[in-house]
Amino acid sequence: MSLPRWALAFADESGHTSNSDSTLASVKSLASLEERVLVEQAQAGNRPAFEELVRRYDRDVLRLALNLMKRTEDARDVYQEAFLKVYRNLHRFRFECTFYTWLYRIVTNVCLDHLRRRQARPEDQAPEAAYSTHFEDTTGDFFERQREHRATLDPERHLLGQEIQTRLAAAMERLSPRERVVFEMKHYQGLKLRAIGDALGTSEETVKNSLFRATRKLRNELGVLR
Amino acid sequence: MNPGEANMACAEITSRLVFYVCDEVNEQERDAIEVHLADCAACRAQLAEEREFQTAIRCLPQRGDRMDAAGIMLSQCRSELAEKLDDLQLPAVKQTVPAFGWLRGWMVLHPAWSAGTLVLLGLVAGTEYSQWTSAPNDGGVQDQVVNVRPSSQLTADQLSKMAVDGINFTPSPYSGSKNVRVRLNAEQPIELDGNVDDSNVRNVLTFVVANGERFDSGMRLDCLDALKNRAEDSKVRAALLAAARKDQNPAVRLKALEALRDSGTDSTLRQVLLEALQHDSNPGVRVEAVNLLVQALEMQNQSLALAPLPPNAPVEMPAAPMIQATGRPTARDGSIEKVIQELESLQHNDPSRYVRLRSASALREIAARNDQ
Repeated sequence: MSLPRWALAFADESGHTSNSDSTLASVKSLASLEERVLVEQAQAGNRPAFEELVRRYDRDVLRLALNLMKRTEDARDVYQEAFLKVYRNLHRFRFECTFYTWLYRIVTNVCLDHLRRRQARPEDQAPEAAYSTHFEDTTGDFFERQREHRATLDPERHLLGQEIQTRLAAAMERLSPRERVVFEMKHYQGLKLRAIGDALGTSEETVKNSLFRATRKLRNELGVLR
Repeated sequence: MNPGEANMACAEITSRLVFYVCDEVNEQERDAIEVHLADCAACRAQLAEEREFQTAIRCLPQRGDRMDAAGIMLSQCRSELAEKLDDLQLPAVKQTVPAFGWLRGWMVLHPAWSAGTLVLLGLVAGTEYSQWTSAPNDGGVQDQVVNVRPSSQLTADQLSKMAVDGINFTPSPYSGSKNVRVRLNAEQPIELDGNVDDSNVRNVLTFVVANGERFDSGMRLDCLDALKNRAEDSKVRAALLAAARKDQNPAVRLKALEALRDSGTDSTLRQVLLEALQHDSNPGVRVEAVNLLVQALEMQNQSLALAPLPPNAPVEMPAAPMIQATGRPTARDGSIEKVIQELESLQHNDPSRYVRLRSASALREIAARNDQ
């Protein structure tokens, strides 16, 4: 699984990098220096600099939002709200953490707010996007069919039949917002628990508990996979 | 290990297997788990299940990838964000505050006080109204505006006591000069209509230029603009010279010099120009002074070529420069020497590069002219 760019950044910040190559380190420090300049320019009101920052991370933001919210409209709302918050509050960013950490904190808070609102008022939500877990139902898209074909050849993916996927998706819906965010960040964004704690403004131990509960719930819902 | 300890250990280990599989245990925990797993088949089975589960989870296709595989939604999101940022950067729409809104609010909250205040205001207005209406019958035309005709000249005393409320310039359709309307606030409000050819209008404009400290720089610039073709008038010329020398605003000083450009040269103007070269803080003014000095020398050459001065005539205009054996121009009254010295000094010492270049160019022009 390829990790998003900010996962690497979190890993750096949390001291979990396994690569200690000095050249790589200097490249990373150059990149962070460049990013600091960009952030400072954006703070000074430079719109192109801000847009460059957005372009660096918005693919990951949208992916996270889509995974968590499941509905395209909600994901778009999360995207807009998160980046507008970043824009409005950028002057408050004091480089006490990396920009990614700060951005991720905002994005996850926005996601949590949306998930909590959805839980509180499920009737307000738009119908779920036309996304089928039944791969056979996907028509017309060549690349999708290729993906499906490869999945059937892959023994691990083959384990996941349609029934399991459907049940898993349903089980994910029953997790609490925080559990869903933690589970998503751990398994699909590839973040370390410490980094997730930083983003959520909580301790690593709390994140560990959330992940444990989420895993238990999902496994109970799914039963034994074999 | 007794069965009780083993069970407890198994429960503890099982709860940690979630983190063990996703590499979130420390070294100590890892060692303990691995030691236990080596001896416990049940926990190994649990581990296998946990691995299988997490692998399955990770292999699950993500909606985020499937729902925007082509990146179309990402592009749309970027466009929407750009639009919203545009909206954020627009100046905030000013809220229209209703006139006397605070007063209305106060009156609503204090009806008794409001009624009393209104009655009092009505009484005051009623008693004072008769005095206001009878005032014109007693004392004449205190606030009436008098249109001054050209025949009634404004005296110097009137000018010194007046304040200029406004000067409007409008292009005249019939003549090159602008129509001028001047509103004066003197003992009696005065409004002048005419153009710069009217002596009263010219006097007022000249007074504004000469007394720059009493009027704002925009008004002074407008007056200079109107007077620029009237520099032959001695009063106007004196005011222009004073403004070029003393006005605090460099734009006014520059405009005054420009107004003097076509008015011929004399020793006073030369002195003002030399002072500007030496002391003016604004490089634009210094450059204009250089230009005027070069132009003055050219005019002298032309006038001398047409009508050479008699040897004993009193010298008002500076004499023509002559080239000495060294090739250096000189002048009969020495003033041209002073100009050249000043230009040479500027050429080397002026802080502004443009002034230095212009001075060097002026020196070359003077030398070339004298070579001819």
